[in-house]
Amino acid sequence: MATPASDEELVQRAQQDDDRAFGNLVERYETKVYSLAMKMLRNPEDAEDVLQDTFLRAYRGIKSFQGNSTFSTWIYRITANSALMRLRKKQLPTVSIDDADERETPINIADWSPGPVEQLLTKETQKAMDEAIEALPPEFKQVFILRDVEELSNAEVAEILDLSVAAVKSRLHRARLKVRNRLALYFSDAKSSRAMGANQ
Amino acid sequence: MMTCKEVLESLSSYLDEDVKQEVAVEMHKHIGMCSDCRAEFDTLTMTIKLYRHTENHEMPAACHDRLVKVLELERFKTKRGPAKT
Repeated sequence: MATPASDEELVQRAQQDDDRAFGNLVERYETKVYSLAMKMLRNPEDAEDVLQDTFLRAYRGIKSFQGNSTFSTWIYRITANSALMRLRKKQLPTVSIDDADERETPINIADWSPGPVEQLLTKETQKAMDEAIEALPPEFKQVFILRDVEELSNAEVAEILDLSVAAVKSRLHRARLKVRNRLALYFSDAKSSRAMGANQ
Repeated sequence: MMTCKEVLESLSSYLDEDVKQEVAVEMHKHIGMCSDCRAEFDTLTMTIKLYRHTENHEMPAACHDRLVKVLELERFKTKRGPAKT
């Protein structure tokens, strides 16, 4: 069986008007692009818009793609920017990313961390996790999703978002605290509801 | 000995194993002794674990088909050149 062509080979061929090569790149990355867009926008129609916008931009820009970064980083960058533009359009007035409310001590902070992840990860928890991400300012959301959901490195996230690694680390730390505080509230409320139910 | 404030400021980097060895040792010691910082550490660790456990969103097959059509249309427009008026 032939070895699949590398991204670099496909990019080179796509730059020479080989539409099949570009199609191969689309097939290789479309689910990743869609998944990242869904995580950022939480709406299938918006995610599909980002998917189409990303590959249209990539198609139009493939000839000027210099290869200074990998194709994967480039396509993630286009996706993240396209999703960010949509987020900014939809964003309700929110706190500035400089507001340091993440320093507040969460309620009942120690009550929910013990135990296996699988036990905590119910549908309700998943909903609370989605809402915690939703509440983040867009610039924090990008960093948090790329780093802690997509599991990219700080350096990769910095390259995708055109930020310094120090800026990525700073935003990530604050995003994690904001998300954790929201989850702490959720687990605290869930615990109170269970206690009330047991007493009735 | 690190203060709680210093520990909390470096917690995220500590979780990512992105602090110097001597800082990591100090933080490990502090977290072992301070229940507030341990709770911060435990819940932040669990937060990250929860998100890393989430599944990817499946892309509907129809999405792929529509994307292919959009790109075909773009190819057609590009190869045909600008519309004559």
